[in-house]
Amino acid sequence: MKENVTSNVGFTCAYTPLALIDAAGFAPYRILPLGSSPELAGRILHDNLCPHIKRILDRALGHDLPALAGVVFLNSCDAMRRLSDAWRAVRPGDRMVLIDLPAIPGETAVPYFARELSRLADVLSEWRGEPVSQKTIGESIERYNEAANLFATLRERLRNGGASGGAARLQALYNRAVTHPLNETCAMLKIAAGEPLSHSIDNSGVPIFAFGNVLPDPEAFELFETCGAKIVEADFCTGAREFAPLEITGPGDILTRLARGTLSRPRCARMIKPDKPGGIAEEVLERALACNARGVIACAAKFCDPYIARIPGVKELLREAGIPLLQIEGDCTMRSFGQHRTRIEAFAEMLRR
Amino acid sequence: MINRYFDSMVSTLEAKFSKQPSARGKFTLEILRLGQRLYSNEHCIAWCGVCIPFDLLSAMGVTSCFVEFIGGTLASAGTAVPFLEASEQAGFLADGCGWHRAVIGATDKGMMPKANFVIASSSPCTAGLATIERLARSFDCPLFVVHVPGDLSKESVRYLAQQFKDMTVFVAAHTGQPLDEGRLRTAMKKTNEARTAAAKAYDLAKRVPSPTNGTELMNFGLLLPLFIGTQTGVDVAEAFRDEFARRCERGESGVPGERLRLMWLQESIQFKHPLIRMLRDEYRAVIVVDELNDIYWEPIDVEDPYIGLARRTIGFPFNGPASNRLKHIAELALAYKVDGAINPCHWGCRQGTGSRGLVEAALKEMDIPVINLEVDCADSRNFAEGQLRTRLEAFVELLESRRACQRVN
Repeated sequence: MKENVTSNVGFTCAYTPLALIDAAGFAPYRILPLGSSPELAGRILHDNLCPHIKRILDRALGHDLPALAGVVFLNSCDAMRRLSDAWRAVRPGDRMVLIDLPAIPGETAVPYFARELSRLADVLSEWRGEPVSQKTIGESIERYNEAANLFATLRERLRNGGASGGAARLQALYNRAVTHPLNETCAMLKIAAGEPLSHSIDNSGVPIFAFGNVLPDPEAFELFETCGAKIVEADFCTGAREFAPLEITGPGDILTRLARGTLSRPRCARMIKPDKPGGIAEEVLERALACNARGVIACAAKFCDPYIARIPGVKELLREAGIPLLQIEGDCTMRSFGQHRTRIEAFAEMLRR
Repeated sequence: MINRYFDSMVSTLEAKFSKQPSARGKFTLEILRLGQRLYSNEHCIAWCGVCIPFDLLSAMGVTSCFVEFIGGTLASAGTAVPFLEASEQAGFLADGCGWHRAVIGATDKGMMPKANFVIASSSPCTAGLATIERLARSFDCPLFVVHVPGDLSKESVRYLAQQFKDMTVFVAAHTGQPLDEGRLRTAMKKTNEARTAAAKAYDLAKRVPSPTNGTELMNFGLLLPLFIGTQTGVDVAEAFRDEFARRCERGESGVPGERLRLMWLQESIQFKHPLIRMLRDEYRAVIVVDELNDIYWEPIDVEDPYIGLARRTIGFPFNGPASNRLKHIAELALAYKVDGAINPCHWGCRQGTGSRGLVEAALKEMDIPVINLEVDCADSRNFAEGQLRTRLEAFVELLESRRACQRVN
């Protein structure tokens, strides 16, 4: 049975516990909203759903996917839940599981999410044909943390202006890391981190902090740079957020600690901290100040409720702090993103003055 | 402005309905009285998500309401547009839900009463959660978040039940009034009484022809949760039950000559429009059931209410995977013997309208035609009345021809 198992397990959300998938003997494969699949999702998903999930479903309908042993969905937002519903309808033969994700971090939610992770571990074990052990989960977490640290090194290089290929290359590395086995990812990152600092890089761009939901296309980062904007720090679910170190602390078994660590990672806007309502605004400001950004670019896929509801609050706070914000909406294609070239150029120009 | 609106409407309707009592009148009056209380500055106020147990809050002396109520009130009064525009000017894109944008605009313009605290729920929608978070920030008031699991497993029910217990501690901390077990029992008894009466009213509405006229139960299932746990909830539900029972006894239908029976999906269009009246008056096509008009939950155990409250909340058909909702829609369609369904496809609603294709496919499997409209139920600015009328006319003509074929066969 084990020999016939396909090695990739698809996933679509940055909160997916990749270490658990890896520990079960699968390679997590993020179904990124990229590629040129025809737009077919509209026949089942309403036009008002975010292009992230529609592009993912387009890929499924267009058979633009590697063989998958199964797909793991997280109930992270309405759109993701609808994606899992649509997937079940259009690919009824696929193995899939929907894992619930609490809306709040904190100890009340940890045992519940740990149970969900335990359910996922059982499902993955069934798909694989052998149980996943606590020990291998711990080892996978360590190796993912190693990858996260290597990415942190690369981001630091980018901030300091010595990373060849700039933010576009970093994004390409993120994309590769979420679509290839962990061993390959770590080897690739070690090579990249070991490269000598480049001295021939144009660092004249205005330093910018960029944040939002999905921005997986490296070309988008190239576009920023050609517009005179240097992305010194970025916070996207298709980038740094996916490779934030997991703090495996506190009481409980490995799944409880994985649950705690996952819930307390740098957050997507969908995650609420009740003691700091709208606190994502303060977090964006802090990060922009920490990387000496002169401006902030918010990139949100159209129709993304978690972000479109919070960006106005971010904008208000940044205005008070004297940091300009440019908001860009996209549909996960460079066709739409490219239309913002003039706005990005004007923004960079304004910041340079 | 809004408090004056509620005061004036209450006076007008009290006078009107004392002469012509009706279940709908009673219901409308209680909605307006709730609005009066919310804007009176005399009550402890909590703005909440749709799925919060209002009977539990009521037992704790809190005047609570889901925020969408204000969006709906503004829309039905024809005053939502300036607030929608205000939210858009503040950066909230028009692609978002109209209910929430109206509320945010009203808050920014100082038209929402300041809450003592707010309580958000992850169900039914992500946008609702974000809106309550925004209100907590705007009002600088405490926020409690309830995470509603997507399944009815024993663990999930216990997890939510514990959150509701935690919620009572949170509420007590901010009101200074701990939960009184006697009041809680009384509230749960009232909840069950209202449940029984509403279930009977819905059962009567299933009859052919239906005793409902297609509009009097509009928003009933959506707003009844705001009154359950109180005598008002019981009275309103019993008023509908009794009125429908009287009509059935007299052999009267809500719409004389009922020809077509329709189901309305999700929420109603709140601003004034002629479409439902047109269906009723010109085609004798009656909306016999709104998707939200149903009792899908078991009576609450008065001695141990938290498990029942949790089961009720998780069992809300809009919670969890779309298969829950599709099953519920199919059950309603069969029970009410509907000829067709109207889906307004509230623009900006990812969780509800997002399932449009799946709803359509599920009803098609049952051989029930569905028409998808494209409207924002709170925002009248893009309401293409002429186009919608033409499409609805074509839809009912299709249903009539199907009916005729069925009779021949």
